[in-house]
Amino acid sequence: MAEPTAPGMLHGDSPGLRLARRSLVLVALCIVLLPFADLSVVAHDPWAELSRMATGLALPHWRELSSPLQAIGLTVSVALWGTLLGVLLGFPLALVFFRSRLVRTACAFVRAIHELFWALLFLQVFGFSAVTALAALAVPYAGIFAKVYAEILEQTPRDAADSLPPGVGRLSRFIYAELPLAWERLAAYTRYRFECSLRASVLLGFVGLPTLGFHLESAFREGHYHQAGALLWLFYLLIGTIGFWGHRRLLPLLTLGSLFLLGPWPHVDSGLLWRFVSHDLWPAPLLDGDWAGLMAWLGNIPDLGPAIGNTLLLGLMGTVGALIIALLLWPLASRHFGNPATRLGGRALLVGLRSTPELMLAFIFLLLLGPSMLPAWLALALHNGALIAFLAARHADNIEPGMPGLPAGGRYAYELLPRIYPGLLALVFYRAEVIIRETALLGMLGVATLGFHIDSSFQYLMFDQAFFLLLVTAGLNIAVDALARRYRPREVVMDDPCSR
Amino acid sequence: MRRLIATTLMLLGLAPVAQTQAQDTFRFTAIPDEDQTRLVERFQKVADYLADTLDVDVEYVPVKSYSAAVSAFRNDQVQLAWFGGLSGVQARRLVPGSQALAQGVEDAAFHSYFIANADTGIAADQDQLPESLEGHSFTFGAKTSTSGRLMPEYYLRERFGEAPESLFSRVGFSGDHTRTIALVESGTYDVGAVNYSVWNAAVEAGRVDTDKVHVVWETPAYPDYQWTIRGDVDEHFGDGFTDRVRQALLGMTDPDLLESFPRQGFIPVSNDAYAPIETVGEDLGLLR
Repeated sequence: MAEPTAPGMLHGDSPGLRLARRSLVLVALCIVLLPFADLSVVAHDPWAELSRMATGLALPHWRELSSPLQAIGLTVSVALWGTLLGVLLGFPLALVFFRSRLVRTACAFVRAIHELFWALLFLQVFGFSAVTALAALAVPYAGIFAKVYAEILEQTPRDAADSLPPGVGRLSRFIYAELPLAWERLAAYTRYRFECSLRASVLLGFVGLPTLGFHLESAFREGHYHQAGALLWLFYLLIGTIGFWGHRRLLPLLTLGSLFLLGPWPHVDSGLLWRFVSHDLWPAPLLDGDWAGLMAWLGNIPDLGPAIGNTLLLGLMGTVGALIIALLLWPLASRHFGNPATRLGGRALLVGLRSTPELMLAFIFLLLLGPSMLPAWLALALHNGALIAFLAARHADNIEPGMPGLPAGGRYAYELLPRIYPGLLALVFYRAEVIIRETALLGMLGVATLGFHIDSSFQYLMFDQAFFLLLVTAGLNIAVDALARRYRPREVVMDDPCSR
Repeated sequence: MRRLIATTLMLLGLAPVAQTQAQDTFRFTAIPDEDQTRLVERFQKVADYLADTLDVDVEYVPVKSYSAAVSAFRNDQVQLAWFGGLSGVQARRLVPGSQALAQGVEDAAFHSYFIANADTGIAADQDQLPESLEGHSFTFGAKTSTSGRLMPEYYLRERFGEAPESLFSRVGFSGDHTRTIALVESGTYDVGAVNYSVWNAAVEAGRVDTDKVHVVWETPAYPDYQWTIRGDVDEHFGDGFTDRVRQALLGMTDPDLLESFPRQGFIPVSNDAYAPIETVGEDLGLLR
């Protein structure tokens, strides 16, 4: 990739210059590829629909909601137990994570598939039950927890363990000298993950599990915007007040209580499960050993090349867009800029943008701009950019400016940005893989990404094809993740934003 | 792969704990094509009616998509379902012995409308699909909707002899009839295909600005929605259960119940009535 800038400007080996070069290469790559993206704008008259939406959000009809409390209860229960099961599965794996390539690969694989797609798979066997929801969260989270816990444990200071006399058993060493030192970070991460799972739990409603998202999606899709508005406010409220109801002391009680909300448990037929795993997921010609038939089967797979191209392009554009949005928006929520009122507004904006499901953002832009990659790009960039901006602002708030009296522009450019930029860029790289996964969900825009074809395959009940495409997607995600890891700034401690 | 097996084993481990649901409850599902709000509440009334008439416990299982309804039906998680034309065929192919019991009065001769934004200049109410559709952007409804995808695509191919992707500048799937109307009305898509009863209901309720979007062409009649029941219900619920369910459905005359579908009433139907849908589905590669 050619450098877009004059020679001499960015030469040198300091960390700052290296970051600047990487950012510019990323942006340049995006600009070079932009002509290949499908970005036409066609919009005639979106205002009627948009004003209906706006009135819905402004005047929510609370009374029309049917059993919102039950939906909220289920949303929270699924999030709690999904996280808990993920911890239970992931923790043992974390202990062997760096010793077993197999475990690492397996974890990378389960992480690489979006929760919604796991849900679609489990749905085929467990129906619309809590088992589907819990498995859809617990399986990918197990892979995430295994990785993050292992990294945290690895960074634990060794001094305590080293000072133990020889002959102390591995278990004792772990329990007395390693775990206590890592405990706080493990707990903090788990809590963070729980907040992510709450959002995921809502999203599971989009495929039909009766969480908050179920009602939200129905109402929104059918244009009952007054109800959709009420549900969206409920969702913001639930996320916004997590600090109150999700208190450390309250959580065990909530966890136990919520167990009763998850039922009724379905009757699980192991024959059915076996049929799905051993038969439905595999191409029939492969099971019969019919190689010619397998070629024909492969020939029926929808155009893989353009789908992968679209997915990667949208992923790159989303990542660069998120970087730009994050750079623009983070001062809105930082204590170094504005006054309390603007900061409150800024924080509300960022929380709103990151909490609103991308699908809804995409639909609003679809109405405004017409069908193309553009609405998907904006939705991904705004959602992820706001999320990163929020964390960047938090980083900045921990910094004490050393040069008082600088104007805001100077504070931004010379004081704060240089210090938070490595962390911000690391988050963007970290997020790249998530953005790739999310491109999968935006098939309604008529953009044929891999996710569009996966969704179609599930709709046509061609599970073998869906599974094959999922494997391709997982491979792609793992490759992008490896690439992002290779180039992301290493100098910073990561503050994880629900990213894996 | 090993991970998959491990996961499977883990879930199998959960399974014994999970078996607490009663076995002899008769379960059904239904997805109406319009107004999916308060589904549970509304279909609870239908469940109560069936329970009274059939003298068994009846439960309504809410489902979000036709593919999910078919999976539930295949897995015996529901025994009776109100399917669309295509999803019914999918379900009956997957569950041998299952049969179509009854269809709505309207479903014997169902239609789709092609609708166009007024700015396209495509005239309303034509005798056949106009040539001028070519090169516009187009949206179907849901991917497996009979009235929003299957039959419109069939008539498009019949008329123009090419795939929608090469006929139109862009082809989208709005996911829902109501949304198709909104997208064509706003001009986001130029043309769309929509279930005629959803369109008529929306026009009657004043939710559509007919100055901005109008019907271009109405498809010939085809069979659509129907109740389908699994073949093994007689074994579980007693001989003649299938017939009793059929009678219960045909005898549903309370407008309050019928409004949920929404249909004027139900009439008997057989699997054979859906042979045309099956052929079209196979031709379009949506069935295999």
